[in-house]
Amino acid sequence: MLLRTLFAAVIAAGAAFALYWWLTAPAVLALPAPSRSPDLANGQELFNAGGCSSCHATPNQPDRLRLGGGLAIGSPFGTFYGPNISPDPADGIGRWSEADFVNAVMRGVSPTGTHYFPAFPYTSYRLASIDDVRDLFAYLKTLPPVSGKVRDHALPFPFNIRRNLGIWKQLFMDTAPFVADAARSPQWNRGAYLVNGFGHCAECHSPRNALGGIIGTQRFAGGPNPEGEGWVPNITQQGIGNWSEKDIADFLETGDMPEGDSASGAMRAVIKNLAQLTAEDRAAMAVYLKSLRPVQGPTPPQRQQGS
Amino acid sequence: MKRTMIVAGTLLLGAGAVMAQQEIAVQQDNLMRSIAKNQYGVLQKMSKGDIPFDKAAADQAIAAIEADVAKIAKIFEINPKQDVVNATYGSSPKVWQNKADFDSKIPPVQKAIADVKGKITDNASLKAAYTSINDRCNDCHETYRVKLK
Repeated sequence: MLLRTLFAAVIAAGAAFALYWWLTAPAVLALPAPSRSPDLANGQELFNAGGCSSCHATPNQPDRLRLGGGLAIGSPFGTFYGPNISPDPADGIGRWSEADFVNAVMRGVSPTGTHYFPAFPYTSYRLASIDDVRDLFAYLKTLPPVSGKVRDHALPFPFNIRRNLGIWKQLFMDTAPFVADAARSPQWNRGAYLVNGFGHCAECHSPRNALGGIIGTQRFAGGPNPEGEGWVPNITQQGIGNWSEKDIADFLETGDMPEGDSASGAMRAVIKNLAQLTAEDRAAMAVYLKSLRPVQGPTPPQRQQGS
Repeated sequence: MKRTMIVAGTLLLGAGAVMAQQEIAVQQDNLMRSIAKNQYGVLQKMSKGDIPFDKAAADQAIAAIEADVAKIAKIFEINPKQDVVNATYGSSPKVWQNKADFDSKIPPVQKAIADVKGKITDNASLKAAYTSINDRCNDCHETYRVKLK
């Protein structure tokens, strides 16, 4: 009897593990053959739209193109350290294939087939076109290699089990490609592509649930700063309804707000990136952002007691 | 009776301390607002063409900013440990965790101001002045200024 129970338990455990393994398996993209040779100028534009530098540039040095990593990024789940994505062959992505890079950016899967944490916003980058990601890869290869491996993320159990992210992805990550809205202008569609894809604006400007998934109904409606301090504003028309398209485009370039102020905190680094974009791309982002219907976001705490 | 007095006294002192801390936060906020009034209300608006170019007004705004910036280190000496009631922005506790670094961001602002002072002649030089001062403000705001809503 005991033996039989034990046997059943082992079978059940085995089945449960097999199910877990199947559910959490990293899914990669089958990469079609390139349709053209890489466009470095486009790669640079997407590098700036994607804000790669904000998390991957080596901190406390002025060159935003030295992507040695090491920046500490706070979250409710622990501290992440931006990895080295310079073309260094040993410590960066110098030995990566194009397929490795595309799967990292668009699926959050490493070259060795493990899940990346969604602190890396592949949940947005998955909307990118494969050719654009190829251009970005070619552009990154032109940047200076920086040696030095970055330390591991500091995450407590169970968040440090990468395999679990397979389930997180099933719950919170869509893998459908970007679909242009034929009823809208090409400019609006370009803006939608940049804001939702490379720009990954929603990653900070949306509230998240207890498991760190974006609350879809309140997308862009602001929420607590995932890094811990303060509040990320609502960028639907509920929050910036009195900003014109030009106000938004100007803000993306300079950080200057129409109400007579200037962006602060993490948005400063974002502005540094967006200031490098073409005026057309900033204008397209502004047209799209201006079209976001007003959504009430969560309410910021009335009064914060500092420490 | 004695006990009642002690309790009442303690409560009053406590309330006083809370008031004082709020008072400190308000002072800090007011200083920043005073700078913003000139930096954004005058220089930024003029540089965008929202208000007409006026050399005297620009010079006056820059002089006022210079005077206010000189007060930052002192006014931010004490951590009020609370934000101004209903404020949109506040100070990060990091200001007082790294006060030396916070203070080290001030001389570059003063240098930027000194570099442009008296050199504003037209809209182009005004815009350049606004940007060069604002960039140095941002070097600090990037780390130490927190949006609260």
